[in-house]
Amino acid sequence: MQLRIKILFLLLAAASTHIFAQELVELKMPKSNKVVIKLMFRNGSIADPAGKEGVTQLLTSLITEGGTKELTKEQITDKIYPWAANYSSHVDKEVSVFTFQVPAVFLSKFYPIIKGLILNPSFAQKDFDRVKSNQQNYVDEVIRTSSDEEFSKKALEDLLFRGTNYQHLTAGNSNSLKDITLDDVKKQYKKYFTRNNLTIGIAGNYTPAFLATLKKDMQALPALQGALPVAGRALMPDGINVEIIAKKNALGSAIFGGFPMNLTRANDDFAAMMVANSWLGEHRKEYSRLYQKLREQRSMNYGDYTYIEWYDNGGANMLPPPGVPRSSNYFSFWIRPVQTAKGLKGQYPELNTINIGHAHYALRMLLKEMDNMIQNGMSQQDFDLTRDFLRSYIKLYIQSPERQLGFLMDSRFYGRKDYISEMDKLLAKLTLSDVNRAMKKYWQTKNMDIVIVTDQSEAEPLAKSLQENAPSPMSYSNNLKSALPASILEEDKVVEQYPMKVNKVTIISSDLPFTGKERLPKKTM
Amino acid sequence: MFFYGPLGSVINLTFNEKMKSTLLLAMAFLMLSGIGYAQKSAVQKILPYPIFQKKLANGLNVVTVPYNSPGLAAFYIVIRAGSRDEIEPGKTGFAHFFEHMMFRGTDKFPSDKYSAILKSTGASANANTSLDRTIYHMTGNAGKLETMFEIEGDRFQNLKYSVQDFKTEAGAVKGEYTKNSASPFVQLNEKIAETAFKAHTYGHTTMGYFKDVVDMPNQYDYSLEFFKRFYRPEYATIIVVGDVASDKVNALAEKYFGNWKKGDYVSKIPFEEAQTETRYTHIQLKGFPPLLTLNYKGPSFNDQQIDMPALDVLSSLLFSEKSDLYKKLVLDEQKVRFIQAGATDSRDPNLFNIYASVVNAADMQYVKDEIVKALEDAKINKVPAQLLADTKSNLKYSFAMSIDNPTSIAESLSHYVYLTGDPESLNRLYALYDKVSTQDLVNVAQKYFVPTGLTIGTISPADSVDVK
Repeated sequence: MQLRIKILFLLLAAASTHIFAQELVELKMPKSNKVVIKLMFRNGSIADPAGKEGVTQLLTSLITEGGTKELTKEQITDKIYPWAANYSSHVDKEVSVFTFQVPAVFLSKFYPIIKGLILNPSFAQKDFDRVKSNQQNYVDEVIRTSSDEEFSKKALEDLLFRGTNYQHLTAGNSNSLKDITLDDVKKQYKKYFTRNNLTIGIAGNYTPAFLATLKKDMQALPALQGALPVAGRALMPDGINVEIIAKKNALGSAIFGGFPMNLTRANDDFAAMMVANSWLGEHRKEYSRLYQKLREQRSMNYGDYTYIEWYDNGGANMLPPPGVPRSSNYFSFWIRPVQTAKGLKGQYPELNTINIGHAHYALRMLLKEMDNMIQNGMSQQDFDLTRDFLRSYIKLYIQSPERQLGFLMDSRFYGRKDYISEMDKLLAKLTLSDVNRAMKKYWQTKNMDIVIVTDQSEAEPLAKSLQENAPSPMSYSNNLKSALPASILEEDKVVEQYPMKVNKVTIISSDLPFTGKERLPKKTM
Repeated sequence: MFFYGPLGSVINLTFNEKMKSTLLLAMAFLMLSGIGYAQKSAVQKILPYPIFQKKLANGLNVVTVPYNSPGLAAFYIVIRAGSRDEIEPGKTGFAHFFEHMMFRGTDKFPSDKYSAILKSTGASANANTSLDRTIYHMTGNAGKLETMFEIEGDRFQNLKYSVQDFKTEAGAVKGEYTKNSASPFVQLNEKIAETAFKAHTYGHTTMGYFKDVVDMPNQYDYSLEFFKRFYRPEYATIIVVGDVASDKVNALAEKYFGNWKKGDYVSKIPFEEAQTETRYTHIQLKGFPPLLTLNYKGPSFNDQQIDMPALDVLSSLLFSEKSDLYKKLVLDEQKVRFIQAGATDSRDPNLFNIYASVVNAADMQYVKDEIVKALEDAKINKVPAQLLADTKSNLKYSFAMSIDNPTSIAESLSHYVYLTGDPESLNRLYALYDKVSTQDLVNVAQKYFVPTGLTIGTISPADSVDVK
């Protein structure tokens, strides 16, 4: 009997080790003058307990902005100042990543601090109060008053993933944060920051002895108790649903929209969809189709892009950052702020009778272009050019050691070894028909959630126009209109009436999102 | 830089642990001994790679830095003109608008063809404009370097766009203003600039005033004049970093930019009289974290004088996480969420900005008084020598760790090229950091942190400035 239990235990342990073995990603660069260490824990904000949303981010911030059992935050700062060592944390939905960078000559001096922060954080009440206050302030004020674009992007996730563990901001919401105590943070640390869900990444100029120490020390983290949470999945929206966030004194209408898509970097079809997406709306590139139609030809805004996976902080990043891998994916589009009726009336007297600004028109253009791509596919020429572009372009993702390491670690998340080189190979053998088939499989335009952050004066008329599928003619200034070729104006006639069947439009105040209240589950998993 | 070059080469030979400790000891000694440190570093440049420069007959400067990035090259063109050069009324934001127009094509490569070629290089390409400069950049396949030279050489000499393109592009700029304006920081910066500068063109932001942005479609003729003035070889520097050789870069520059005609325009930038009183500007805003900014008139960038390097060192000592003020206001009292400060590097005297995000608006006066107290203290008391040495070390190691790819090296060089025209200014600045003394810190504090040079900008729920 005893033996049977022992065998069972060993089998369980083996299974657990197999699933949750401590992973290692190495990038030896003996000529480098520095060392980068990344510790990725497979537990992001989806591990936040209900009612304690934001606790994972609070915890990682407290680790990087607090002390260790031996040193206070002030003492750490004093020690590392001459070395210019730096460290930070980033929490996404499914992973939390700590990144440490130090000149190679100071690695051995810096290491006790890394070890102390990860294994023996001080969790001082005073540090907790400060970090929590800042996180609360971000959720209460900063997110809704700093960038309408980021506001609409985060509000879209809130809408798409309503009722799932993917819904809330990684920072949490106003109500949940108020309830989080230092004890909650300590519990989260013990439960989810374990040796079994850790991937160690190291790049640069380090010795094998150092790496052995690092690996051994991280074994001191507790073992994982129970299972890791499963990522919530968004259900396909029923028709087109629009949430308009009405804001005081917004100069434009910032738009984000999307729908769930069952595809990630793990799937070989991802290469095909990279080509399709790049052609339709490559991030911050003027040669994509949507950008050409809305910005280059019609002067409507600063840019228009589409995505087949999460792209962190697109306003600041020209190239996608690592450290945000996700298994629950969605397609999204980003239409940068277009003019409102109030704005246009103030700029051009000839437009003083218009009812709405450019948001409705821009959305119709998106639907038309996507429908066209899905139905007719890309041309061979566009395919060749875009595929060749991507084969070169994705290599820029990994210019620095830190980025190279990050992408390698993300590769493991997706069950790949080296995403960049594997995608290059997939792109090399890709055909036009692969892309055209994939678009039909993964894209559609009938069901999606859309969020528009706009001025209070625009909200009601825009909602009415959307709900009624009313024509939305472009409103150009006379000056611009006189310069536009007839072909553009002809196309406008088609776009302004392009069918856009909106199922539901809701107008909410900009005070409402991310508060944690009055947001009944749209769907459940 | 002494710790990069020698150490890097030793590491190439895979040194043993003992050698490493010896080196560390030697470095520690050098840091403790200020003189030894300075002497040693004066020989070693901060950029551990040689900078090759060649000036073409037409005045175009060509800079090459070979760097080990197999198959990759960063290609930058710096035009030393920005919103500082917007001297005519009603033309604010024009340098930036013109940067947009540079993507509208030529007879040889109309914009769609230019885009297709650019796309074929697989590059990450873009441009941006600031006070003193406009930068066009692409990082991509080093094997396509000639293509990059060809399309850039063509548009910088032969740009040609229609009235329609011009008017259409103006809307994109308006869109950019529209998205930026959602940030209260952006709104406050616009007000601080116009409050601090009454004559100089630093009084408006690079984005320009909204009324001027809306009027841009009417400025076609002025745009032709703008191109004639500034898109000339004497305003330009080409910088190429990566898997390239200087001979090849120089030959390509000669081939594709050698016929670029020199101009003769020089902007007459209005002179800013000395400020004589503290000035105030305010934005009333509820639901946004209260913000206090102190903006002192500072020096222009200069790689020969000690003022700017001394201010850089001082801003780290007084306002970084290492500073007493940060520890007091942010960590201990928790009255401030973050505090940041620094002097703006620019060709003419500009501002030294201090930003503090204040937890409770009621503490604004207290926070301001604490900041001023720290500045006054810096005028009287010399900092300990070790602290100064630590700060110099921090500046150098920070830079050394940042230059790990061709783009970041090209970015750094571009910065100094626009300031002085010479990429070696980077090396000269870091050599000057070595020379900063504790007395220099006292001197610059006394010279620049004076109430008569101060502009206070605030955001709070109050209807007017409530900080004195």
